[in-house]
Amino acid sequence: MIQSLANWILSFDILSGMGISIAWSLSLFIVAALIFVFVAANAIVLVYIERKVSAFMQVRLGPMRVGKFGTLQTVADALKLLQKEDIIPDKADKILFTIGPWIILVASVVTFAAIPFSDTLLAANMNIGLFYVVSISSIVVLGIVMAGWASNNKWSLYGAMRSAAQIISYEIPVGITLISVVAVVGSLNLQTIIESQAGVGNLFHWIPIPLPNWYIFHSPFLFVAAFVYLIGATAEINRTPFDIPESESELVAGFMTEFSGLRWALFFLSEYANATLVAFLVSIVFLGGWQSPFANYEGVQIGFLVISLFAIMWTIFVKVKTKRLSFYPLGLSIIITLSAWLFPGFAIWLASPGLFWMLMKVASIIFLLMWFRWTFPRLRVDQLMYVSWKVILPLSLINLMGVAVWMWLSGEIQF
Amino acid sequence: MARLYAEEMVLNMGPQHPSTHGVLRLKLTTDGEIVSHIEPVIGYLHRSFEKHAENLEYQMVTPFTGRCDYLAAMGSEHGYAMAVEKMMGIELPERVEYLRVIFAELQRIASHLVAVGTFGLDVGAITPFIYCFRERELILDLFEMASGARLLYNYIWIGGLAHDVPPGFVEKTYEFLDNFEKRVAEYNQILSGNKIFIERAADIGVMTPEVAINYGVTGPSLRASGVNIDIRRTQPYSIYDRFEFDVPLGEGAQGTVGDSWDRYYVRVLEMQESAKIVRQALDQLPVEGDVQAAVPRRIRPPKGEIYFRSENPRGELGYYIVSDGKNVPVRVKMRSPAFSNLSVINEIGHGWMISDVIAILGSLDIVLGEIDR
Repeated sequence: MIQSLANWILSFDILSGMGISIAWSLSLFIVAALIFVFVAANAIVLVYIERKVSAFMQVRLGPMRVGKFGTLQTVADALKLLQKEDIIPDKADKILFTIGPWIILVASVVTFAAIPFSDTLLAANMNIGLFYVVSISSIVVLGIVMAGWASNNKWSLYGAMRSAAQIISYEIPVGITLISVVAVVGSLNLQTIIESQAGVGNLFHWIPIPLPNWYIFHSPFLFVAAFVYLIGATAEINRTPFDIPESESELVAGFMTEFSGLRWALFFLSEYANATLVAFLVSIVFLGGWQSPFANYEGVQIGFLVISLFAIMWTIFVKVKTKRLSFYPLGLSIIITLSAWLFPGFAIWLASPGLFWMLMKVASIIFLLMWFRWTFPRLRVDQLMYVSWKVILPLSLINLMGVAVWMWLSGEIQF
Repeated sequence: MARLYAEEMVLNMGPQHPSTHGVLRLKLTTDGEIVSHIEPVIGYLHRSFEKHAENLEYQMVTPFTGRCDYLAAMGSEHGYAMAVEKMMGIELPERVEYLRVIFAELQRIASHLVAVGTFGLDVGAITPFIYCFRERELILDLFEMASGARLLYNYIWIGGLAHDVPPGFVEKTYEFLDNFEKRVAEYNQILSGNKIFIERAADIGVMTPEVAINYGVTGPSLRASGVNIDIRRTQPYSIYDRFEFDVPLGEGAQGTVGDSWDRYYVRVLEMQESAKIVRQALDQLPVEGDVQAAVPRRIRPPKGEIYFRSENPRGELGYYIVSDGKNVPVRVKMRSPAFSNLSVINEIGHGWMISDVIAILGSLDIVLGEIDR
């Protein structure tokens, strides 16, 4: 994307005199700014959505006053945070206290450089993309420990120590789970990983149910691996049920206790950036990234027909169970199905890979994370370690071996 | 397994802390995450209830009782009114007795809803809390209908009630009960049976019956340890001998008898029993009757003293009143259940982790207004 942007800049007559190196630097800067804008805007939108989702789960309305349906609430909150007094506690370590939040933010923003949004839309097509993302995102823990230690507050210290233990523990199963996918692809390049998931095939290679060639359907082992990854990643980004570093009811706000104003906003920003990153990784590695779930436009029509049938069954089920008739899922799916049948252009657009499918997948995963957060209680710190070392880690190792055996059996690799 | 002992750190939890249920301060001596000693420091909400009572006429003390246990103001008022009535030998009209029982039990449901919801909040589940408050709101609406207030009522007077319930109250209460009995299943689904919740609450902070009795723990926390003491059943006051209800006991369904999960679940079951009592009381409620018929014109209990106890949502609420025959009491001592219940926190809480201490504290269900008085 940087290269094409530089070429595009140079294609103008007035600008062509600046030379390739300046054009390159300029486009580098533009891309970096775009990524930051994406992360910041994304956080503002996600905070709003999280509030609304939690409100709907809790029979409330959520923000309703600022803007239509409260859409400007988070903008107002962000402005409020920017105006707040910048407080550094007297006994705090000023240098670490100041740079801690920035390290977290930078680590979580920089990872987006390697994330492909679509087949053309990515900042840097790295051949070690996955490795880069995993390694850079683990720098976050450094910032958290810094922030917690520098606050000179016992609660912050507890939060930071818990966070360090948690993130380091979960990094291992998460990494091994990703390796089991890399073993299938044979590449760390995120674009290659996505490209190898094109098309439609059988479930688990042999069961004759036509499903997209995503790695979640590749083998039973990778199917489990996807959930192992999701659980591990939820822990890595400190979200409920694994939010013990900032567990509100125990540690007040954990490592964020002493922070306010802009610095606190940076924590928030990076938290949502990390959640989005995890959602991107799940959809890239297991759900086919920007690949469409449909092979061609007949696939779209048949697929939506199946979804409509499910919607009809669901409506009947709800009617029997609760004596209430809910037309929303049925109506929505029928409208989409009809439009896919009536307008072949729409169906072809749906069958083609692109940004739309990527964002759809990411949005679904983020919704899942929010659903977790507003449903589950929180684990205790030793239970969390138990889950990591005694459940998820052995499971991910078994998956890795299982995937290897599966590939040998299914003839994908020969020795 | 041998544990590595490191230097101990004193951690000050509160008085400003999200889960100490008010302005309670806990001095935790911690060894890493393990808490080796807990020292509750109280008194941040002291408002001199007992000293005030020595300078006020009997009927003027009633609003102060509600301010002690602000989550169960009806229960506190009920206990105080009954104590003074017993001193004066007042016979109450039937309608008053039934309405008092209805309010006391509705208040028990409301108080337990807060207890159950905040316990969920303490272990990190936010949504059940909102669900519990949704139901509590309906109860508060009923109270508002009757007394005009939502938290502190001054509704139960010595010898009667402030005024009769408005028309439509009985129907609305029936409506609430129909609704509520279904909703309890919802709490069980989202919280009681949740695997993480069970992991967090079961086997945590086990209180054996001996410990509970030695520390004077009463109410649901005592019954969760398997001790069958409910003053409504063992020494029926008011008209509780007329109703059929069970006294739920802790059975250790998910772990040991007397663990935090039991203390939580006993409250869930008690809400259902209270709903049963309210339903029976509504069925039997006499239509006729002046609620102020027995209100004495002059409240001057004869010389003497009395200790009267009743079953508050948090346990045994006792009033010790000394009278010298004047219209002002010489002494009003309140035996508040939460005070005794809190005293057990070190015994059952030391040796657990910080997160568990929060859970144990939540499962004891304390109200600081009542502890500090």
